Amino acid sequence: MEVKVNEQTRKKSEEDKHISLVINGNQYSLEVGYGSYQVKPSDTLAYTLRETLGLTGTKVSCDDGACGSCTVLMSSKAVPSCMILTVECAGKDITTIEGLGDPKTGTLDPLQQSFVDHTAFQCGFCTPGMIMSAKALLNENPHPTEEEIKEALSGNFCRCISHYQVLEAVLAASEKDGGDND
Amino acid sequence: MRTFTHINAHTVNEACELLGQYRGKARLNAGGTDLLAMLKGDIWPEYPEAVINVKTIPGLDSITENDNVLKIGALALLSDVAKSPTIKEKCGVLAKAALSVGSPLIRNVATIGGNLCQAPRCWYYRYPRRLGGPLPCLRKGTGPCLAVKGDNRYHAILEGKGCFAVCTSDIAVALAALDAKITIAGPKGERSISVVDFFQPLGNTLKIDEMIKDFQIPATMLSMEQRFLKFTLRKPIDFAIVSVAASIGLNNGVCTDARIILGAVAPMPFRAKAAEEKIVGQPISDNVAAEAAEKALANAKPLSMNAYKVEIAKTLVRRAIKGSTAGLGE
Ligand SMILES: Cc1cc2nc3c(=O)[nH]c(=O)nc-3n(C[C@@H](O)[C@@H](O)[C@H](O)COP(=O)(O)OP(=O)(O)OC[C@H]3O[C@@H](n4cnc5c(N)ncnc54)[C@H](O)[C@@H]3O)c2cc1C
Ligand code: SF4
Ligand code: FES
Ligand code: FES
Repeated sequence: MEVKVNEQTRKKSEEDKHISLVINGNQYSLEVGYGSYQVKPSDTLAYTLRETLGLTGTKVSCDDGACGSCTVLMSSKAVPSCMILTVECAGKDITTIEGLGDPKTGTLDPLQQSFVDHTAFQCGFCTPGMIMSAKALLNENPHPTEEEIKEALSGNFCRCISHYQVLEAVLAASEKDGGDND
Repeated sequence: MRTFTHINAHTVNEACELLGQYRGKARLNAGGTDLLAMLKGDIWPEYPEAVINVKTIPGLDSITENDNVLKIGALALLSDVAKSPTIKEKCGVLAKAALSVGSPLIRNVATIGGNLCQAPRCWYYRYPRRLGGPLPCLRKGTGPCLAVKGDNRYHAILEGKGCFAVCTSDIAVALAALDAKITIAGPKGERSISVVDFFQPLGNTLKIDEMIKDFQIPATMLSMEQRFLKFTLRKPIDFAIVSVAASIGLNNGVCTDARIILGAVAPMPFRAKAAEEKIVGQPISDNVAAEAAEKALANAKPLSMNAYKVEIAKTLVRRAIKGSTAGLGE
């Protein structure tokens, strides 16, 4: 019995040895395995982003799906990357906080700039997650109401009570985006 | 998280076959919002050898309506269930329950099937290995319940026998109020079971090589008034302290039919039959609703720290009944 399972397993894992996915517009083909450069079957997307790819903008706090600091966009939806297995991300299009600005010019995304302009953070640990959840909202609904912003950010916790400024920052960014401002 | 063999299943049959081959040592992964927590904490007495991804099975996330049945695939995302125009229009109780789960982030990955199969949230049960767990208890097959003499503020007030962990699935409460049937696939084919019968005091009726394929809601339920109420400490993230889902048939303000289900008060979704009997045939009024709420909780046996749940449950039952008549309730 044991042997049969192992054989089957070996065949199966052969098939899924590489995980191809797009992160911030770049195509990656990650090898599945146990080396430091490889992706273990049990690695979460948050772990792979931070530890394997060095994209440490994504933060991990609760590692339990409850705080939102690990939020990234997957197929343009905000998701908790700590509760997703990297081996299950084949074919996905992922955006992290590093993917928002322009890496060449250093120009920030208008939403990021709005967070700066409104000092919408204190320690900043929750901020990448806040921005990614807000980004998902604005992509889908460029002119949200205050209530809609609160709902969209309700899974993103802030230990330093930046919420009031976050709300202002997102509102301001949404107004600018539509050209309603000046 | 300790590692495991990871397998993508491409058909329901394949998933069931793999489960059978691993003889209980494999777990299905749908959205992973509960499974990964259980694996990270290394909470089960036996760590699974394999994790079988079911998201690679095509077609299991569809929401369709035919033959007087509304069918929802087990892999439908809670965010899609909450947004679906069909579900919002025909079974608002389910849309509301889905919208009440966790946070937008959780709902964007969590599935409706996974929601029904989530492990209990009892904090003794969930005590992680890195802190000295898992703690043995009745639910884990060894030793007495730790909650009876411990901190049981969120535990059962009804129908607790050996284990007092409540069923925290909001979706189960809504589906039970809609008299939904679950299609379960296994090596010998499919079987159908009602949501209420699916749950057992220490878990559910799934055999080690079975999985949930879809949920079917009979059209007859869809014309009833529906209501979902959930009391939590914080609005997002928190599990229900008590929830109530109700389907109530009305004819000129007189109740013709009722299903009232309470969540988070018992180890399984609790059908308040006594309350249903009280209101059927009656015009809905404040008095009738209050009497029904008393009946619903008549057999409550709170533990040392959770008598407060009885009052919350009564209030929610009362509001669910009253709110089902336009102009009454909140
Ligand atoms: C922060 C947070 C807040 C939450 N709040 C709530 C809440 O308010 N209300 C609530 O009800 N829940 C809540 N949950 C619990 C929750 O994880 C689920 O709601 C979710 O729907 C589970 O679905 P999933 O697809 O992620 O399940 P998974 O984690 O993939 O699976 C859960 C279990 O079900 C099994 N399983 C999955 N799919 C199937 C299937 N088709 N057939 C048989 N077995 C299957 C798995 O093997 C596993 O054991 C919360 C969770 C978190 C992390
Ligand atoms: S309530 Fe159930 S899960 Fe919790 S300690 Fe008691 S037996 Fe274990
Ligand atoms: S770290 Fe992922 S939700 Fe908290
Ligand atoms: S700014 Fe510190 S956690 Fe939000």
